[in-house]
Amino acid sequence: MSAVAARRLADKELIVVPYRRVSVSALATNVVLILLGCFFLLPLLWMVFASVDANPDWAIKIPTPTLANFADVIGRADALSSFRSSLILAGTTTVLTTLLALLAAYPLSRMHIPFRRSFMLVILFASGLPVSMLVVPVYQIYVYLGWLDSLYTTALFLAASSLPFAIWLMKNFIDAVPLELEHAAAIDGASTFRILRQVVLPLTVPGIAVTAIYTFINAWGAFIIPFVLTYSPENQPGPVEIYNFMGSHGLFKFGDLAVFSLLFSLPVIVLYLFMSRYFSGAFNFGGAVK
Amino acid sequence: MAVAAGLGPRLDRERFQWSSLVMLSPALVLLGVLFVFPVLYACYLGFTNLALVGSRSRAYDFTGLDNITRMLGDYVFIKSSWLTIIFVVGSAIIGQTVLGMALAILLRNALVSVSAVIGSIVIVAWVLPEITVALVWYAFSQAGGTLSILLRQTDTNFLVAVPMLIVSLANLWRNVAFSMLVFSAGLRNLPTEVLEAAEVEGASVWRRYRLVIFPLLKPTIVTNLLLVTILNLSEFTLIYAMTQGGPGIETMTLPLYVYQEAFVFHQLGYGTAISLVLVLIGAVFSLLFVRASRSQV
Amino acid sequence: MLSEVRFEGVHKIFGAETAVEDLNLTVNAGEFLVLVGPSGCGKTTTLRMLAGLERPSYGRILIGDRLVNNVSPRFRDVAMVFQSYALYPHMNVYDNLAFGMRARGAAGSVVAERVKETADVLGLGHLLKRRPSELSGGQRQRVALGRALIRQPQVFLMDEPLSNLDAGLRVQMRAELSRLHERFRVTTLYVTHDQVEAMTMGDRIAVMNLGRLQQVDAPETLYDNPANIFVAGFIGSPRMNFVPGRLTTTQGKTAIEFLGVKTPISAGSQLTGETTGGEVTVGLRPEDLMWGRVASPDSTLTVSAEVDVVEPMGHEAYVTAVCAGETVTSRFPPRSGVRTRERVELALNPARLHLFDARSGRTILQRPVAGGADVRRTVREARKEEPAEGRSDLQRQTGARGAPSRAEEIS
Repeated sequence: MSAVAARRLADKELIVVPYRRVSVSALATNVVLILLGCFFLLPLLWMVFASVDANPDWAIKIPTPTLANFADVIGRADALSSFRSSLILAGTTTVLTTLLALLAAYPLSRMHIPFRRSFMLVILFASGLPVSMLVVPVYQIYVYLGWLDSLYTTALFLAASSLPFAIWLMKNFIDAVPLELEHAAAIDGASTFRILRQVVLPLTVPGIAVTAIYTFINAWGAFIIPFVLTYSPENQPGPVEIYNFMGSHGLFKFGDLAVFSLLFSLPVIVLYLFMSRYFSGAFNFGGAVK
Repeated sequence: MAVAAGLGPRLDRERFQWSSLVMLSPALVLLGVLFVFPVLYACYLGFTNLALVGSRSRAYDFTGLDNITRMLGDYVFIKSSWLTIIFVVGSAIIGQTVLGMALAILLRNALVSVSAVIGSIVIVAWVLPEITVALVWYAFSQAGGTLSILLRQTDTNFLVAVPMLIVSLANLWRNVAFSMLVFSAGLRNLPTEVLEAAEVEGASVWRRYRLVIFPLLKPTIVTNLLLVTILNLSEFTLIYAMTQGGPGIETMTLPLYVYQEAFVFHQLGYGTAISLVLVLIGAVFSLLFVRASRSQV
Repeated sequence: MLSEVRFEGVHKIFGAETAVEDLNLTVNAGEFLVLVGPSGCGKTTTLRMLAGLERPSYGRILIGDRLVNNVSPRFRDVAMVFQSYALYPHMNVYDNLAFGMRARGAAGSVVAERVKETADVLGLGHLLKRRPSELSGGQRQRVALGRALIRQPQVFLMDEPLSNLDAGLRVQMRAELSRLHERFRVTTLYVTHDQVEAMTMGDRIAVMNLGRLQQVDAPETLYDNPANIFVAGFIGSPRMNFVPGRLTTTQGKTAIEFLGVKTPISAGSQLTGETTGGEVTVGLRPEDLMWGRVASPDSTLTVSAEVDVVEPMGHEAYVTAVCAGETVTSRFPPRSGVRTRERVELALNPARLHLFDARSGRTILQRPVAGGADVRRTVREARKEEPAEGRSDLQRQTGARGAPSRAEEIS
């Protein structure tokens, strides 16, 4: 082939390449994904539409717009008190869990602790134990201590049950802070406390945020523990309240129920969005169990 | 070791720092009182006839293997165990893993805008409080609900007609995002050179996945299976809020049965014994997966 | 304040691995000592033990007269430049520099003054508000250096500080580090795997291999009188040629046989050891194995060789040739015109041979130290990559002070 012919061929290909054919498989990929997306969207849409519909029923339909449902819910004392309970419960749990997890994770990550590996395995195992197993003994302990029906003591157990995973999560974040920075600071003459406060803590902020938000989201949705450990109406957190409403057909309007769950879901969705930018690394479980 | 001989004691033995104990102790105390002790206490209570009310709520006895014998003759317990295994295998192990992997692969290959929107919707379903999921799926599956309209059977309450299926679908709907995220991370961390090498060698898409990608992802898949099984085995809120175990006992998985025996029928001792079986099932599954992850290397 | 550093019988054992074995080494006060060796030779472990980041398994480490085995890094008054720089990513340059002084409770005004001074010395004045992520590699390196300088410590520790820089910047920083050392004269232990850094910067060089110290000497001595085959092969580029040879004694005169030639031991040299059965390894630096046509008059031995590979480097060419069954490398002038398969004549100066016991690898020939045109040439060549400003006379003297061979340390 002559040089000229080769050049011509190259030119032709240069023209062809930029045109991207829409391949059948690429089209199929997007279509299948959108169909799957509908499966996830439909149940959610009901909640959104029903919340602003004057006459909602179980099916999704174009709403007759109204804000009456919102006004209704915001005017209800039981709805407001359940928000308050949930805030106290989830807030106390989060503060306690995050603080204790941070304190425990640092020595587990950095210091010489006998049987550390076994301890971490037990922690991992503990985070997998079903709450159903603990409900009865904890109920017995709470009866004995007279701790039933208090949001703060309930938060104490929620904290204990979320602590193993929080410690594990937090330790992974601290492990990721380069040890060399602490060495540099030590050689620079900084005390252990100064190293923790000025080097480790600032670099662990994303980990603290992820742990706190994760704990909060779980505690916010916790159902069985407050369901068993509290009984006064004013101590019922959101999930228990919604459950009670669901069980009392007719006494509670569809629209109000939708509004209530929508409002109750918003905080965790907002928190998740806030957390997601730190979150990409949290799912690299690779060979975590080996 | 030849070097060490005659040099006296090692000077660099690791020293235990008391400050580490100070930092660990708050967590250890809380875990000890409200986690370790309850676990041990449960192991004891499971072999007693403790009741919620009545004389046995105070003066209860150690009854040895009575609870176990009772279980073996308990029709509800046996049905409940089967339902639990069906729920975990169907919804968690098969459903969540397969759909999660499919979503992760689709998200990777679809248009960026489509991936972003669909990915967010799936994740929102996961972040929602379980009680909300129970509510929207309750509405979705009622007679006259969206599902019945889609299937043109507006008179059917699917939560009564096929309760286990609906409950499993709701659970899948909520939890699949977890597996999707795990697999997405796994796919992202695959060595690009290996994938490109397979592509350059002209392997078809299916062969690339079967011979290169899935084997490389095996540790991730095994870990996902383990976590998903353990998480789903103790699922309570979603099922309880949707059906309370009904109709009849058609969705009475073990966690619900524990609750019913303990707090509805007031049999705290028997309920705890059932929860121990639940832990045992979890342990068996975990061992199977850990063994599977060992044998592959 | 100048302090010397002493390692006395120091071992470091990790599990089943002995990282450092029976190390005896003194860094003189104000000296720039380079610790060099291949990766895994124990040099970084040695440095980390001095910093206090590892504790020795056995032995004593002293800074000045103070035993520091159990002193935490915080109280050792050493400063360290890490290979990765280890800058605090969440602090700007100013706070990175100020961290150490603040940790030691210095007053705000003093800190500000010192930071400004140090930043000026290193040309960082305009970068003080930047975070490490907003700096180039060279700038980060300077900040790491500044963080060490600002403290005015008793000892500087540097762990391959230049290895993350590109080649041009590395040459520049090498000169700058030498200049800084001349200015502040702080006792420095500098770890590198790069023999050029070692030769150009060190007052003395300590060579380590497999956890053991091989030799400590001034660069010139190390080059001219390597204590064993390892040091001879590690220092110098291209690498020294090693060929098998035999020692023969006839009528009380000892001669060496190798590459098919035989030559008596040259007048100035002295055999220092016996060999088993006369088996020796002969070491020939490529620059001492010259092309016959351009060889100096004292290169009296000639051998014939067949050219295998010619590698032109611009200012010279490395020629690999096969001679009496042995592959040797030789330094040729540029544009010599020789080609593969061509037969050439190689000439060498018998006074520049190195002899090692074939079994133990130790040198058995003590050659005259320093003096003489030949030696000066070698030193200049080894330093050829150093920028023009070079080093001061002061530093030369310090270098000379460590000149007596410390080869006994390895026995």
